Amino acid sequence: MEINEDFKAARDIVQAILKSKKIIRMYPANNPIYVKTLEDSYARFTDYFDYRQDLVFKIKQNEITWDSEPVYANPEKEDNLALFFFKDGLRELTFKRGLTSEEMEDFLKIISMDFEREVVDDDIVTLLWERDFQSIQYIADDAILADEDNYQDRAIQEAEENANSPDNILKAYQDAFDEQDVASDTSIVPLSDADLQQLMQLLDQESHGKTEKLVDLLFELPYLSETRTDYEELTTFFMNSAEFIMQRGDLAIMNSMLLRLSSLISEPHIDGEIKNYFRRVISYAGNGTIINLLGELLDSGQEIEDKVVEEYVKHLDKNAIPPFMNILGELESIHARKVVIDALIFLGPKDITSLAKGLNDPRWFVVRNIIYIFRKIADKRAVEFLLRTVRHADIRVRKEVIRALGELGGGGVFQTLRECLEDQDMQIRSASLRALGTVASEAAKRIIMDKIAEKAFKDVDFDEKKEYFEVLSKWKDEEIFTFLVGMLKRKSFLFSSAKMDEIRACSAYALGLVGNRDALPYLTKTKGDSCKLVREFSFTAIKRLEHG
Amino acid sequence: MDSKQERELHKNAKELINQISVVLRTSQIHDTNNVALASAISRLVAMINTLVSQENILVLELRGEFFYINEYRIRYSLEYLLNFDFMVREFKKRELGNITFKGQIRSDDIKRFIKAFVDASFSQEPFNTIQEEMTNVRNIDVGVLKKVVEDESLDVRKMVKKTYFNAVSFTQGVINKIKSGEKVNIKKAKRVVESMVDQILEEEQLLLGMTAIKDYDEYTYHHSVNVSILTIALGQRLGMSRRLLTELGMVSLFHDIGKMDIPSEVLNKPSNFTDDEWNIIRKHPVWGLKAILKLKKFDDLTIKSAIVAFEHHMNFDLTGYPKARKKINIDLYSRIVSVADQYDAMTSARVYSRTPLSPDKALSIMMERAGTQLDPLVFKFFTNMVGVYPIGTLVMLDTRELGLVCESNQLFPNRPRVMIIVNETGNRIKGTIVDLTEKNEKDQHVRSIRKTLDPNKYNINLAEYLL
Repeated sequence: MEINEDFKAARDIVQAILKSKKIIRMYPANNPIYVKTLEDSYARFTDYFDYRQDLVFKIKQNEITWDSEPVYANPEKEDNLALFFFKDGLRELTFKRGLTSEEMEDFLKIISMDFEREVVDDDIVTLLWERDFQSIQYIADDAILADEDNYQDRAIQEAEENANSPDNILKAYQDAFDEQDVASDTSIVPLSDADLQQLMQLLDQESHGKTEKLVDLLFELPYLSETRTDYEELTTFFMNSAEFIMQRGDLAIMNSMLLRLSSLISEPHIDGEIKNYFRRVISYAGNGTIINLLGELLDSGQEIEDKVVEEYVKHLDKNAIPPFMNILGELESIHARKVVIDALIFLGPKDITSLAKGLNDPRWFVVRNIIYIFRKIADKRAVEFLLRTVRHADIRVRKEVIRALGELGGGGVFQTLRECLEDQDMQIRSASLRALGTVASEAAKRIIMDKIAEKAFKDVDFDEKKEYFEVLSKWKDEEIFTFLVGMLKRKSFLFSSAKMDEIRACSAYALGLVGNRDALPYLTKTKGDSCKLVREFSFTAIKRLEHG
Repeated sequence: MDSKQERELHKNAKELINQISVVLRTSQIHDTNNVALASAISRLVAMINTLVSQENILVLELRGEFFYINEYRIRYSLEYLLNFDFMVREFKKRELGNITFKGQIRSDDIKRFIKAFVDASFSQEPFNTIQEEMTNVRNIDVGVLKKVVEDESLDVRKMVKKTYFNAVSFTQGVINKIKSGEKVNIKKAKRVVESMVDQILEEEQLLLGMTAIKDYDEYTYHHSVNVSILTIALGQRLGMSRRLLTELGMVSLFHDIGKMDIPSEVLNKPSNFTDDEWNIIRKHPVWGLKAILKLKKFDDLTIKSAIVAFEHHMNFDLTGYPKARKKINIDLYSRIVSVADQYDAMTSARVYSRTPLSPDKALSIMMERAGTQLDPLVFKFFTNMVGVYPIGTLVMLDTRELGLVCESNQLFPNRPRVMIIVNETGNRIKGTIVDLTEKNEKDQHVRSIRKTLDPNKYNINLAEYLL
């Protein structure tokens, strides 16, 4: 290979590096463009090494040279590969024959990292150092590390100024003959296999995380703290620990920390002001950042015992409600959402108003989840918030809220449920009817009876009619019995006889459900009715009453 | 070669060195017809032939304290540590620098090598003996141990000095920045420590030599760097990886960071401390933990550094300070830092303790503390590292020469390398370095240490000699 060709090959490699750097940032490793770009880059290296041992690039601020010839130059500050290397002190980069594709890819990945981001705690030299490439070497200028330019010269000068006089040394020499022999009493005991075994155990212990240990030390600090500032700082350390612990998904450590804080709060001899610091930590353990981290953890698929999450939630206060509601709509896995719903079921009673804010969430499924949570909490204070959601745009939400209103009951719900019985949507009417059945009060019964008694009821669809009677049959009292018998015996008129027969058939059906055998004579009579529907329903009801 | 192959070669190489060691050790007890030795030889032959078939040629070379196989440095491995040490010692003893396996070998080739190796230990010219006896073994070549070229040594010394002073200057800058509320660049700290790790791995003795110089004004910064160097060197002895050595170097660099909160009138008080002042001094571990936790967002390194800052004055028997309410299992890093910290502090002239101890005296006191104040296991590794006569020890030789220990010898702890500063006629000289393992034609050591003296008593400035 001629020199000119070598130069061209070196320059092409720099271009290949630049291109790969961009591609690696843009595409995942399995993308064909990524794969092709790296293959091309590696081919350039291997072509070069067909004829040469080493590829040495010298790095200047705005220039990269090969064999003193510039192969890259860029005066700009942005996207300047030379400056990118130079600013971290990298002055020479050598690729050696034997460079593997894996090494090349690792190198390119390192230089493609976003070093401007705070999370990258290493500079490029550190990353190259840690990777310890066999076929990539570098020279870095460590002068950039010194805080003071002439520190070395100053320190050495200091030492020279302190240079001892020859007399002192000669005095030592003389004394060496005068003084008694002093042999060192230190004996070196050679290392044994047992020492190595013991050391290996220690190193093994060392490999475990140290978060728990840090938490232990933090719990020593209250006893070593004196001032308000000490406690303020300690509070911050606990808070940062909580965040770090959640990042790591060490919920057991989190629970232990919160439990110990709670114990301190219950200690009678600890000052109330100090306890308030600990309360702040507990509150912080349920803040947005930490709950978001929990969300990521739950969604990550990492196996976490539900019990451990439950225990964590038990430590939290009402401030954790909004963050939990925030992640509810973000979580992807069903299990994660279930865990969060359970958490809110536990936390909700601590602040119903806070929880109710979730009813304003633009995502219908979040609202439905919140309503479900209210249902599970079963606190009647929720009714006033739920009533506002009855007109929600999404029918799934409306059905859930009507169901919740039925379960919660109370005087406030009847007006709404009654109105819902008139709704245009059959599903809503059905839901409110069933909700009234769930309430199971006299007022609810009255609403249903009144509705059936209405003249227009005969025009209601048969299935809906049947549902009314089915719900009504839940009240198994005398009034209902009489009402149903009355309906069964009702005469039909010529123009509406079919619709009236539907009501009579439903009454027969309901009498069967009520279970009062006094209905048998009436049903036996209608078993021979001219209407087939009435006959069939009466027959079924008789069978139910006779055989259970 | 991909990284999997690399790892495989590295693993095989470690096992190969270990197996050679096993064979050589066994051959010291049994003759080559012994079943145990024959079996060990067969295994070794199989290992060599497998590697030769993969690599075509296999060169095992000793450079400094490390073995290389086909130019790959074989890193320290804890499980093979004793066998590696044995190999280094025996190779050096025979001035054997490398063995090259050029093709498939037979058990008889190894037996010839064993015989040559054993014979060499009784020879005046051990390497020549091995070379002569191996002349007819076609597939095995041997090479003599290379001496470090003086020019190279000067360059290396320059680099080591630069690394050391960069580290001190950086540490000073960090403390000043923290004091003034500025942000500290952790990336730079890592670079500083990585440089030290590299130097320890390549030029351990030179960098350790830098820690022996104690006459600088800024004790705190030099002390932090010295402790970091000593712990990295000790960590290396403990078989830690480069990554762990960096971590250990980082945590020890910041172990005394809490001292920046001690009022300067207390820290720089030239006379003894009052009880109240001691109470302030004793708070620096807690202040250190706090300072580190305030430095940056929590991560593993921050947490480990904070733990060490808090625990480095807690003794092995849980005496010391701060006093913990609950029983604490002191971290290994803290125990390592504690040993290095005590050693450096005892051998340094601090403002509140003007008279430092000589290195060997400090070691002797620390030995009494092993098992109570200090972890005995860590201390055992430490003494094996620094030797009976640590660098900086002033020694009178049986040749009537006065010298300073400038390099310890891990294989022969009582036979370090010594810089002669006064010759046998009582004249001051500078810079002649002698190796106390050197022997004369009668197989007697040319020089031995007769006694040690306290360099502080004579105000001898080590910087003049060791820088």
